[in-house]
Amino acid sequence: MSNRGTNAGPGSASRTEPRFAPDALDRRPVKPSKLGYNVGMLVVGIIFIAAIYGTGMDVRALVDLPASIIQYGQLMAQGVFQVPDETVAGYWTQSFAAMFESVAIAWVGTMVGALFSLPLGFMAARNMSPLPVYVVVRFILSVIRAVPEIIFAIAIMLPLFGFGSGGGGALAGAMALGISSIGTLSKLISEAIEAVDGGPLESSRASGSNHLQLIRWAVLPQVMPEVIAIWLYRFEVNIRASAILGVLGAGGIGSLLSTVFGARDWDRIGIVLVVIIVVTMLVDQISAFIRHRVIHGAGVRSGGGEPHDDDGAPGPGAGPEAGTTVEDDPAPKSARAAAGL
Amino acid sequence: MITFENIDVVYPNGFKGLSNVNLQINKGEFVAIVGLSGAGKSTLIRTINGLVPFTSGTLTVGDDVVDPRSKAKLRRLRSRVGMIFQSFNLVTRISVLNNVLVGRSAETPTWRSLLGWYRAEDKELAFQSLERVGIVDKAYMRASSLSGGQQQRVAIARVLAQDPEVILADEPVASLDPPTAHKVMRDLRRIQQELGITTIVNMHHLDLARSYADRIIGMRAGEVVFDGPVEEATDAIIEEVYQRSLTAEDIVASDSATQGTVTSAAAQD
Repeated sequence: MSNRGTNAGPGSASRTEPRFAPDALDRRPVKPSKLGYNVGMLVVGIIFIAAIYGTGMDVRALVDLPASIIQYGQLMAQGVFQVPDETVAGYWTQSFAAMFESVAIAWVGTMVGALFSLPLGFMAARNMSPLPVYVVVRFILSVIRAVPEIIFAIAIMLPLFGFGSGGGGALAGAMALGISSIGTLSKLISEAIEAVDGGPLESSRASGSNHLQLIRWAVLPQVMPEVIAIWLYRFEVNIRASAILGVLGAGGIGSLLSTVFGARDWDRIGIVLVVIIVVTMLVDQISAFIRHRVIHGAGVRSGGGEPHDDDGAPGPGAGPEAGTTVEDDPAPKSARAAAGL
Repeated sequence: MITFENIDVVYPNGFKGLSNVNLQINKGEFVAIVGLSGAGKSTLIRTINGLVPFTSGTLTVGDDVVDPRSKAKLRRLRSRVGMIFQSFNLVTRISVLNNVLVGRSAETPTWRSLLGWYRAEDKELAFQSLERVGIVDKAYMRASSLSGGQQQRVAIARVLAQDPEVILADEPVASLDPPTAHKVMRDLRRIQQELGITTIVNMHHLDLARSYADRIIGMRAGEVVFDGPVEEATDAIIEEVYQRSLTAEDIVASDSATQGTVTSAAAQD
């Protein structure tokens, strides 16, 4: 009460004086209803149980799970931890070679996706393209996203380029990953573009820029770090996908895995799984590190001067003669800034 | 010279931004537009370069009649009319120099712009613009590493790089602290006097308007309700424009001795 009195101007004090002293409890908010939340939880639970019975899952099999995990785990561990003689060393190198083929397939696929996704992302961004283009491109992208990369591989790419490790199968896998990458990458990039700060766009427009100049100097510098991060993330996803495509005959570690699975050769399966896990984690870590660098910069070692305001007098040091011009494109620039240079 | 003849602006949602505005702004004048928020200050300024298309009337800038429907004509007009914004609107991830070079967009072929291969004379002009606002030493730094006042001066340099006939400034100092606000206003005033560029500034700080402008235009509900030299814009007149008495909010607390009558008005309130 005393607060209100002092805040109001001297002339208006009488107006804010309450007619009745309010009860302290009157100020407390009413507890909001939890009905919606409870109903929601109930629905989730019902769907869960319905899904189990609807599909005829035999939940009792879960009881045997720990025993089977130990059994197969032992079989595979025997393969991994045996002292490698000539043949076992061959298994290891064969697995690593196949895994690197998978990574290579994923990289080529990601590059294909990245190449097409940038222009398509602009076409699918509402703030960058006219309505007809936007609608058509969005529709095409959603069709692409609706088809899993496995279907692309089985139905289109493998028949076109041929099966098997090396050559045809690898190309088929890369193309399948590339096309399905275009779908998601373009969508994510278009969303990044739509979230761009409109201020620089307005100032660029006010300077008489045309549409392409505006994209180049107001939009790209803003979205490029995010776009690179999206590309890298898709590369991580594609590594897993390329391992799966291999099982279908697209080459790489998947082909090897399906061969050894066919033979129920548990110690070789163990080796292949270890290689998959180790290499995937390694690439993920590297990729995540680069993504973090690109988005957040190098942290405290930023090279820029302290933000401070001098009173207009040009300080000593860099003048027009300093260094070369800075006409590089935004990708290396943001990477360079991220590296603290 | 800029001439408004019976200009109306109706926004797509039916809101009337400007109604029947008639103005004549002479070459080389420094005009401050005052009014409460929502009075149509920003709309008035943005009709001049076509960022907001007017819906009826005739608007001429120099010899050209503004046509909001022709994109090519608007681009040509915008190349001669520079604009400064409250939030600076720099592209913070690129260098100061590249931000200033955006001001050369209209004069640069698109392929050069896309590759960033600006002509040597354009770069020279950009450097001269930075020198004029006193921050050429920051040319190769990222715009994001500059303080607010410095960023606004980069924005002024970007406008100067356009070699404009008119500078529009939409609340250029509203997000700056008082001493910096005065610095930026002094820069604008100096540039207007040195280069003879017509300067139109929106502001809500009356003392800044009085100390830097030649002429004050008062707006309320999309209409021009006062138009006259600074000396005529007394506290009583401005209170009439605002439809309320002046308060401490209407002045920038400042290091300079320019507050005069407004302070006393604020004290009375």
